[in-house]
Amino acid sequence: MTVLPLQGVRIIDACIYWAGPMATSLLGDLGAEVIKIESIQRLDHLRLLGGWPSPDGYEWSAVFNGVNRNKYGITLNLNHPKGKEIFQKLVEIGDIVAENFSPRVMENWGLSYKELKKINPKIIMLSMPGFGTTGPWRNYVTFGPNVEMVSGMPIVSGYKDGPPMMTGYIADPAAGLMGAVAVMTALRHRQKTGKGQHIDLSQIEAFTSFMAGPIMDYTMNKRMQPRRGDRHYSFAPHGAYRCKGDGEWVTITVSSDEEWERFCQAVGNPAWTRWPRFSDALSRYDNHDELDKLIEEWTLQRDKREVMRIMQQANVATAPVLNYGEVLSDPHIEARGFFETITRPVTGTHPYPGFPVKLSGTPVKIRKPAPTLGQDNEYILKKYLGMKKKEIAKLAEEEIIGTKPQGWAFGMEA
Amino acid sequence: MVKQEHALSGMRVLDLTHYIAGPYCTKMLADYGADVVKVERPGWGDAARSLGPFLNDEPHPEKSGLFLYLNTNKKSITLNLKSATGVSILKELLKQSDILVENFSPRVMPGLGLDYNTLKKINPGLVMASISNFGQTGPYRDYKATDLNIWGLSGILYECGEPNREPLKMGNNVSEYVAGLYAALTTLSALYYRDGGGMGQHIDVPIWECFHTMQPSMTLVYSYAGFIRKRAGVRFPWGILPCKDGFIGFYLPTQVHWESLCALMEMPELREKPEYETPMLREERREEVTAIIVSWLKDKRMEDVFHAAQELRLPLTIVPNPEQLLDTPQHKERKYFVKIDHPETGKLTYPGAPFKLSETPWYAGRAPLLGEHNREIYCGRLGYSKDDLVKLKEEGVI
Repeated sequence: MTVLPLQGVRIIDACIYWAGPMATSLLGDLGAEVIKIESIQRLDHLRLLGGWPSPDGYEWSAVFNGVNRNKYGITLNLNHPKGKEIFQKLVEIGDIVAENFSPRVMENWGLSYKELKKINPKIIMLSMPGFGTTGPWRNYVTFGPNVEMVSGMPIVSGYKDGPPMMTGYIADPAAGLMGAVAVMTALRHRQKTGKGQHIDLSQIEAFTSFMAGPIMDYTMNKRMQPRRGDRHYSFAPHGAYRCKGDGEWVTITVSSDEEWERFCQAVGNPAWTRWPRFSDALSRYDNHDELDKLIEEWTLQRDKREVMRIMQQANVATAPVLNYGEVLSDPHIEARGFFETITRPVTGTHPYPGFPVKLSGTPVKIRKPAPTLGQDNEYILKKYLGMKKKEIAKLAEEEIIGTKPQGWAFGMEA
Repeated sequence: MVKQEHALSGMRVLDLTHYIAGPYCTKMLADYGADVVKVERPGWGDAARSLGPFLNDEPHPEKSGLFLYLNTNKKSITLNLKSATGVSILKELLKQSDILVENFSPRVMPGLGLDYNTLKKINPGLVMASISNFGQTGPYRDYKATDLNIWGLSGILYECGEPNREPLKMGNNVSEYVAGLYAALTTLSALYYRDGGGMGQHIDVPIWECFHTMQPSMTLVYSYAGFIRKRAGVRFPWGILPCKDGFIGFYLPTQVHWESLCALMEMPELREKPEYETPMLREERREEVTAIIVSWLKDKRMEDVFHAAQELRLPLTIVPNPEQLLDTPQHKERKYFVKIDHPETGKLTYPGAPFKLSETPWYAGRAPLLGEHNREIYCGRLGYSKDDLVKLKEEGVI
């Protein structure tokens, strides 16, 4: 059996949607045993994203299946005293409890850090609501897009003549990644001192920490940075250019005068590359629109991958704009074995993005696909609570556990 | 330096990084208590020192806002790795380190005789993290890339922006921050493993693959259903729309959302209109729907709309500019922004802790001046004399 860095670490994972499950999935990738808890009364709503048109649509959410691999999946109704009791027993044998509800939710269940610490003094608890666990806005509702919006990132993103832009999702996995780093920081401390603690992670604060440039420009110079599209604030040319074919684009970025010289050679030194108005970064920046047109005349005659080849041979930072299908079959990505082909019950066999980082001594693989609803109820209850088949059947009868969602209707939206 | 106990106290990091991804990784470690020694080129130091924004727009190696933010709590030494003496000094430092982080292009470290196989002989427990655009292997290994190129390769750029215009990335080098966090995560994991009885190892952090995981589902959507999403701009049920003093943002896909939105705008009659009855109909008439919202927002204040919406549990939020961001009561009460003093810039406001630990707080220290800790590290840790330092300086090593 392969050794993994977080082998022996057990995570009791009550996270839902995207950010929290991303955090625990990364820790699961690194070898932690993650026990994901949903309930048949209330699925992880991420299962409903995508609206797959079939009666078992809740097993077909690509994003759910993408961020819940390497986890066990159980269902547990925490509104029922017996459900809560099982949760508390899991906390006893856990190292980490992770959740990303509004702060009041765990408190209402009597499962706040204060309570959990009484059960297991060494427990590390990760709480990651949108706005954090304190402050006047702590109970406000936010989803991934809102986190992205409140960070202020859209204000400095977008076409220079257009409104603020957003991706609609990027803050979710980014905050999840921060959550995983937070857990490792606390776990490292516990390894040295034996002490657990509570992590209060505001997804908005986490994502705002990527906004340093514009924030520092404001705090230093009272300047509000403008939207610049794909352009850089000091280098030029820097943008996306049309290529041969329908809707094909390449990105070319020139970051120094030396790189500009190499770029000129790569396009064959046409007369315009010697025009004085393109002679240095500042003048190229000032005449960016005109320069872009001339570059595009050249790229339009070529395939996007050919442009990458020519430019990279000249050591100019250039890459094609790939769609997801093209990412999947890219020769570099294939050579590195980034996608792993996994068979999952219900959905079948597909390539999934793997863990992106390679660890030479403890290589990370997808060991388990995302769990189907309540898939591991019996395994976990037997293993950690020593329950007999009969007891487990009784829990199912009482609808404390189960494998079929309640109130689920075909075609239901997220 | 760090007096109180911090989460990562006692962890020694040798930091050969520059620009954003690498420094962000070691900043995370330093801000939670690790001892980070940043090795910079004599003369100019980290390239980020020459990147703006600068205080008062004055280009100065100690006044780059980006550098100051990305290098808090680190110690700086200068060392010329192109000299044999420089390399041997680095190896001495390495013996005292738990972690080495670097983000040169993959040819550089082996070229200096500092590949992992050589270094692990000097320090078998070493955890070495190498951050690069394409990773340490593969056909594009030596290609160059910037944040925009990485967006292009990730698949994310393809679906962002207006359909009839160029694909559009977000500002701020997000891909570099993401890779920096992946490096911090895996480095900490590898060290946890080592100190639990395992070995040191080499970690290969490719920015491209890391950034791709910021959208883990769309390659799956493609393989489940053969579907590739086209650029569609930010349109209803999405929106970032202007109000009186800023922007309001939302994503309101469901029927419940629509009903709450009608209630928020005090337009119950909208709910009754058959042409807006279902999500699909609203999307078909998104321009009309957007026009209604825009005209309603025109004379409303951002925070008023935000609070009124939240009363209805409607996920509609402010989209603040930096000035408004610094002024939000939530950030103020949580003391998210911190003031950090620095000998060249004075006190400035920085984004603070990305997460709060109840027992071992984040630490708001400043970035180092170039070579500020030469004496402390070379004399204090390696036992060089002051005369040695003068000599090393004359030889261009430090």
